[in-house]
Amino acid sequence: MARRIVSTGRGGTGKSTFVALASRFLKPPTLLIDLDPDLSLADMLGADFDREGKRTVSEALYDVIARRKSNISPSITTDELMESLLWSDCLYESRKFDLITLGTKFTEGCYCAPDNLLSRTIPKLARNYVTVVMDSPAGVEHLNRNVMSEVDDMFVLCDPSDKSLKHIARIKEILQQVGTRYNHLYLVGSHEFHEQAEDFLRSSGQVYLGRIDYDPQVEEYNLKGRSLLQLPEDSPALLSVQRILAKAGCI
Amino acid sequence: MAKIIVSTGRGGVGKSTFVALATKYLHPPMLLIDLDPDESLASMLGIDLSSNGKKTISDTLCHIMEQNKASGRTGYDFLPAVLQQSIQSDCIYSSPEFDLITLGTKFTVGCYCAPDAVIKDAIPALAQGYQEVLIDSPAGLEHLNRKVVVDIDDLFVILDPSEKSLKHVERVRAITAALKVGCHHLHLVGNHRFTTETEEHLRNTGEAYLGRIDFDPGVRQRNLEGQSLLDLPGNSPAALSVKGVLLKAGYNIKLGN
Repeated sequence: MARRIVSTGRGGTGKSTFVALASRFLKPPTLLIDLDPDLSLADMLGADFDREGKRTVSEALYDVIARRKSNISPSITTDELMESLLWSDCLYESRKFDLITLGTKFTEGCYCAPDNLLSRTIPKLARNYVTVVMDSPAGVEHLNRNVMSEVDDMFVLCDPSDKSLKHIARIKEILQQVGTRYNHLYLVGSHEFHEQAEDFLRSSGQVYLGRIDYDPQVEEYNLKGRSLLQLPEDSPALLSVQRILAKAGCI
Repeated sequence: MAKIIVSTGRGGVGKSTFVALATKYLHPPMLLIDLDPDESLASMLGIDLSSNGKKTISDTLCHIMEQNKASGRTGYDFLPAVLQQSIQSDCIYSSPEFDLITLGTKFTVGCYCAPDAVIKDAIPALAQGYQEVLIDSPAGLEHLNRKVVVDIDDLFVILDPSEKSLKHVERVRAITAALKVGCHHLHLVGNHRFTTETEEHLRNTGEAYLGRIDFDPGVRQRNLEGQSLLDLPGNSPAALSVKGVLLKAGYNIKLGN
């Protein structure tokens, strides 16, 4: 069974940056799952879905639903069809990692349908990988949905604010109530932390693994939409992520 | 009918800060609605809902469902009436400057469609009692897919300096168009991380760019310590930026500010 890692936190704390940089160190084969409808992980990794002829889970799902409506002779169930589409159409493959993205939907309603599909499929997908990493949308709703019900390492990215501490308390309560099992919950400080503010996390009663050092290159790459995989080896952010993963025993 | 104003954007860009500071300049009576289950707007305004005996929409909804289960009621026919009454009596925090309703965290499995639907149903009736209804969104796009508001007067999209932000604006446009969400004005607002140079990216999008929120150490300090943004001094760079943005969007600013 693969090691299952989740990156979560409030908006703008660096969840996707953490996953993108972690992909350079984690034990392959690695599967990355982007749960954010605002799909930024693929861009940050330079993965061009269109060019590779790949689709998001939302696109594939709503396409299947539309086809089902117009064609009345289904030979397999929608579930089976979707699962096979996940493999054939939605799985982006590269040397370093494979990637599945939830994607934006342009119909009314929530993302429960594509989320549920992923939730059911993740255990099967996970058998083929050593590491599975899930990048979350900002906030708490994805936790209520219990998309990954068994997690080895839950990394909570924090910005220096009282809101972050409240967020941690809230997500622990949600995880307990919805029955998500996790082995470790780690706090990681975003680049906005300085020494003094870090004490804030150290005294929170949770395991604090350190902060992601400020890295002007990450800012520049994000501005230009360049892949974070091209960051040089001595990038402060990259080294921070390596240090944090080592502390967590992930590499 | 009140003016419907929505603040949205990617995570961490300053949506709630914008809403909190806008309350200083808009005309009362106004209603603030925090749609983020991670409920941070109240604390940014220095409000402790529970010590004021107020509940979130999620809490109220769960409470009513529990009561129904206990009493053996199963029908949903009366639910809307009970809910609307509970919102009025339990969920609206009132102050001279503004009223506030928060969606709140739920601790049960599943999405926030139910509490969102409750707010959606309540907004038209609530809006009649106010000059402005100011809605703070959770990060991302899902709340737009839910059509919590169907007719927006001013949609402020707060942006950080990244290529992702520009793609986000395109997605917001595509979703609102596909779902036929009325959106009379879409305004872009840059956050404090923009420089004069990176602001050019926003000027060239073809959307209305209203300016950026200047960096303000006072905002950072108050967010770190969990203090209210309402006691920022009158010359706070962030507050003055919000004022400038509202003026450009055509708002009449409250006298004395």
